[in-house]
Amino acid sequence: MHDMNRPEIRAARPDPGPAEGEAQDLAFLLAQVARGDHQAFEAVYAQLAGPVYGVVRQVLRDPAQSEEVAQEVLLEVWRSASRFDPARGSGVAWVLTMAHRRAVDRVRSENAGSRREQKVASEAVTEYEDVADTVETSLEGQRARRCLDSLTDLQSESIKLAYYGGYSYPEVAQLLGTALGTVKTRIRDGLIRMRDCMGVMA
Amino acid sequence: MHVLTGSYALDALGAQERTEFERHLQHCPSCQAEVRGLHETAARLAIARSARPPAQMEQRVLAATYRTRQLPPLAGQRLRRDLRQTRLARLFAGWLTAGQSRPDAQPRRSGRDRGNGWGNSWLRSPRLVGAVAAACVAAAVGLGITQVATQHQLDSAHATSAAIAKVLDAPDARIEATPASMGGAVTVVVSALQREAVVTTSGMPSLSSSRVYQVWVMSSSGARSVGLLSSTDHIGQLLASGVQSGDQIGITVEPSGGTSRPTTTPVATVPLTT
Repeated sequence: MHDMNRPEIRAARPDPGPAEGEAQDLAFLLAQVARGDHQAFEAVYAQLAGPVYGVVRQVLRDPAQSEEVAQEVLLEVWRSASRFDPARGSGVAWVLTMAHRRAVDRVRSENAGSRREQKVASEAVTEYEDVADTVETSLEGQRARRCLDSLTDLQSESIKLAYYGGYSYPEVAQLLGTALGTVKTRIRDGLIRMRDCMGVMA
Repeated sequence: MHVLTGSYALDALGAQERTEFERHLQHCPSCQAEVRGLHETAARLAIARSARPPAQMEQRVLAATYRTRQLPPLAGQRLRRDLRQTRLARLFAGWLTAGQSRPDAQPRRSGRDRGNGWGNSWLRSPRLVGAVAAACVAAAVGLGITQVATQHQLDSAHATSAAIAKVLDAPDARIEATPASMGGAVTVVVSALQREAVVTTSGMPSLSSSRVYQVWVMSSSGARSVGLLSSTDHIGQLLASGVQSGDQIGITVEPSGGTSRPTTTPVATVPLTT
């Protein structure tokens, strides 16, 4: 577009408080982005590129592919900001839900069939503990880790395999040698416990 | 079905089960509430795995936004829009209605009091309105400040934002607009009651680092400076106080740091006929 070379507005944003304020600020920024504000989008990028790229890479592993998917997700934030409805959840959740789902969909479409199953069988659970050069985590991230550690082993392993590993719950059941119904229940119970531990507002 | 909320929130359902669950979700408010909370929780799991993206990614994404058209809001969806923005949009729309017959004309009064429904112009010129709406949002948000600011600067910026908002909200607010000779446009919202005017520039060409745009209130007794517009800002905004009918808002190009009186021919003047 013709204004590509033009510097953009530097607007005074409302005071970004540490935690709550940030979330509020994000909803505000997304409303601006919906109206075509590139500057607001830069601020959204600054807040979310790390978690988006981090979670995508956690699932996909391959850096080049992760970058590609993370870019798609962030561009989708720009494209569909008008569809974000703050009444239905936080901006962080909106973006990261999209990021995780894209990563998982990419895995599933590529691994349809036996290749995936072989992989499932050969990969160790502990691999989902960490990926290298994870940014030193925010307070919120640290709290999430603590809460995750406070769950029972079966709960936290199920959640890690499902979320960080990108496995479906039947795959998780297979990996853990547990009944399907048990895994479904553990995932839900564990997440609810985490939610309460973190004081997340629904 | 309900036990699937957790697996759904973690994207751990297969394609078919996901579709079925989403269908169920539409008719299950308690599931919706639970899924919402679990999505928030899952987002924290993602935050716990934040990683530094490759350096070139930001540039790629930002560049791509300029090539990517945005989706319109869904029908029936209410966008958050505060009163002030709506009001300003009306002012701008009134100006557009007034301006449409002679697009290249000189500044003229607009009418928020015109009977000529602003809703029509809204529809007739969506692209222009979109651009103006973006400027409205900017106007409502505040004035241009540099990224690094001291607390004092921030405080005074907030105070100025509030003062600008007050002008935009004034019952007698009027809008005047004119193109600038070097390109871009100047829009002035003026309130006679408050004797204040909000000067907004948009699309003015960037200047070399040794030059700035300086805004003046020009009256029969001379010109006094309102302030400088950083030439790195695409949209600039300043508040002029103590204005009265008959004054003009003028913008000149001056050496960086500004001058005590205009030294060049104004690139734009806007008469204040309150």
